[in-house]
Amino acid sequence: MDATLLEAASQIENPLLSEFKQKGGKVIGYPCSHVPEEVIEAAGMLPFRLRGIQTRSTSIGDTYFGPFVCSCPKALLQNAGRGRFHFLNGVIMVQACDSMRRLDECWRKAGNDFPGIVPDFFHYFGVPHKVTDYSIAWFADEIRKLAAALEKQFQVTITNEDLSRAIEETNETRRLLLRLEEIRRRPDTPVTGTEAMSLILAKTALPKKEYNKLLSKELKKLEKKSNPKNVGRLRVVLAGSVLDDVSLISLIEAEGALVVADTVCFGARAYRGEIPPGEDPYVTLARRYLNEQFCPRMFGYSKQRLALITDRFEAGNADGIIFQNIRFCDLHGSENGLFEGRLDKVGTPTMRIEREYGTMADEGRIRMRVAAFLETIKKRKNAA
Amino acid sequence: MRSELKEYGFIWSVHSLLSLGAKVANGTPKEVQKLLNSVPHFRDLLEAFLAYGEPGRLFLVGFARYMEMILNAHKEGKKLCFTTFCQSPAILHAMGVVPVVLEVVTVAGTLMRGSAIGEYMDVCLEAGFTETSCSSQRGSMGAFLAGLADKPDFVLINTPGICDTNANSFAFAASYFDIPFYQLNYPPTLTEERSRQYHRADFKNLIAFLEEQTGTKLDLDRLRNIMAEIQKQDEIICELQEMQRLIPSPVPGIYNLFIYALRFTLGGLPECTELLTSMLAMAKKNAAEGKSGLSGGEEKKRALFVYIDHYAANLPLFKFLDSRGIAHLGGILDRFYQEAAFYSQGQGYSFKTATLDEMIDSLAMQNSRLPMVKQIRGPYDAPEMWLEEVKNLAELTQPDFTLYSGTPGCRNTWGMVKLLVSDLEKAGYPTHVINSDAFDDRVESWTATAQRLEEFLELRGLA
Repeated sequence: MDATLLEAASQIENPLLSEFKQKGGKVIGYPCSHVPEEVIEAAGMLPFRLRGIQTRSTSIGDTYFGPFVCSCPKALLQNAGRGRFHFLNGVIMVQACDSMRRLDECWRKAGNDFPGIVPDFFHYFGVPHKVTDYSIAWFADEIRKLAAALEKQFQVTITNEDLSRAIEETNETRRLLLRLEEIRRRPDTPVTGTEAMSLILAKTALPKKEYNKLLSKELKKLEKKSNPKNVGRLRVVLAGSVLDDVSLISLIEAEGALVVADTVCFGARAYRGEIPPGEDPYVTLARRYLNEQFCPRMFGYSKQRLALITDRFEAGNADGIIFQNIRFCDLHGSENGLFEGRLDKVGTPTMRIEREYGTMADEGRIRMRVAAFLETIKKRKNAA
Repeated sequence: MRSELKEYGFIWSVHSLLSLGAKVANGTPKEVQKLLNSVPHFRDLLEAFLAYGEPGRLFLVGFARYMEMILNAHKEGKKLCFTTFCQSPAILHAMGVVPVVLEVVTVAGTLMRGSAIGEYMDVCLEAGFTETSCSSQRGSMGAFLAGLADKPDFVLINTPGICDTNANSFAFAASYFDIPFYQLNYPPTLTEERSRQYHRADFKNLIAFLEEQTGTKLDLDRLRNIMAEIQKQDEIICELQEMQRLIPSPVPGIYNLFIYALRFTLGGLPECTELLTSMLAMAKKNAAEGKSGLSGGEEKKRALFVYIDHYAANLPLFKFLDSRGIAHLGGILDRFYQEAAFYSQGQGYSFKTATLDEMIDSLAMQNSRLPMVKQIRGPYDAPEMWLEEVKNLAELTQPDFTLYSGTPGCRNTWGMVKLLVSDLEKAGYPTHVINSDAFDDRVESWTATAQRLEEFLELRGLA
């Protein structure tokens, strides 16, 4: 696998990002897949999805957030407090879920104790929770406001042509990642879930053009390859809370399974839904980013989310589904519980785990549960 | 769940206890004693309610009436709607729909069914719901999931983006029961024109949804009458709350609970007006005599609540405050932002009822100013949000300290409460965070909660 992609997937900073900065480029961070990265691209800047990787504690996060809060935004704040996001020129805070939207205040207040961690551009971005004509109109307006704020702060102009170009570039990324998804579905797929996730994660930290080139090259190689050793391995789909590193997938694969698909944030959720050309680009962005995200913060769409998971399960010819949620992520946690029950009734093997965010805080427990789950699938298959 | 809990319907049992309590309020001392001996879980509380005289009796009558409405809804051909406390019931009453306000019904279960409510909460976990979710919905929802009450017909909420944990409970219930779901959704700002337009469009869609679910057209006169009744209730509530500013406050602390419990469930109906009228008369009488609303008569300190109260184990918080001469000045839960309210500062709503559009605008404005929806939809320190509101209320009601109480499920407020506390302390208001679950004393016993509260009062020189 390409070293640049691997580094971008596993480290906060990477050489291409540094090079971009050295040339005077601006980097804008954001914590949620509901932010239309195309707007940042259109402004000639680098959209950087914030990740909590490389944290070893949440001491800073715990200082500002209360105790009953998901460890994901705490890890993001930890990285911010430690100065690991020093290269950011701006941050877009999002009305994502309860835990994530509170990163806004906590980061700003932490800035009083850790000077210099709050970029000058700190923008609060609202996202509706339903898909209607008026919510799309409102959201399109919110995206326009974001564009205007970027223009004002950085003295740039974002034209509709810029936006259409950025949309096409991002569409290209989506198409490439769908090709990766096809490769993962093959019985003799040459790519593991860990490698695939690395390829996907790299997207969040690299300039789009370079990423598309590197990914395209990687896909050409993979499309010609096969790995007969993967034939017959147990195949699983991973669903649930946000996942921004490969440790969980790598753990599952170390137990013998192959993660052939996912529906997680950072994963498949981030590249579904190409944006068609032609209309007002702000409206098309609004439509795509409300319709295609499939995060349970969009309340009332659980049937569609279950259908997506089932679709991934069937298309990937999978043997089981692993549902996971970060503790205090009730949105995924309770939906996982509901789906587990529904799928169990139709005989689909599922397991449900609750975990902490990030590096494997309770690796032993999760490893044992995954191993036991895979064992039960094997037994079922043998008995059938 | 223990098999004996499955013997009687949940709503039926709560209704029975409440209606017996309401009936006995006018009974002889012997009758009262006989009932008290027969209702061990409810005994302390019933005794306390009866001690409040006419308002206490009317609260029991009103609440029993509400439970009766839920109990008989399907028998009377009405629809049952799962809804939340920060959604005005006006439009539901106008459409002849009975609102099942899960949080309020959980409180009722907590107070009247003792440890049973914990077992109902656990039913939710068996159905796949997370234990870290909010207990305020989990309690009563568990009883419905267990089939101990009639299945709801649809769900209506307005909490996505306000309290996602809350919204998630209702979304879960809708999925579990496979029933229709409608969410009123709010942008993170309050007074922008585009927010207002969003509210209007959303509310119009809600009416269409309700018409589809009930098979009836909205009766404008009926809605107008309900809104007129709400206006009456608003005027009384504003007057009561204005009196809480007096030192001593002539308003008994439990009145805060009376205000919001009936307002969330029977807002716009005469039972609520009758109770409020009686409360106002009592508070006025106290004020005329220069008396505090505390049972001991003397107001030693004043407490403002920055979020919700504490209900587990027979409302111990109210007793705790009352027994120490601490006036409960209300909090976020009973601030509805009527235009005439002393704290509104130009952000309040008023009703216009000449046309349907006016009524929709008025109801949308009212809804967007209900507890939680108003304060925690955006960043806590943004204009019109939590910090500004609490500071404003504190300035106007002069508390000696402020208190935060919630549940571990209050993800949104737990995400920013430390910051709020820090700002309130800087502004000169000693603030204590109650670290328990307002609806579930299995999380932290009241003994432990009270001990910490005592320590706070002692250390900060407030005892």
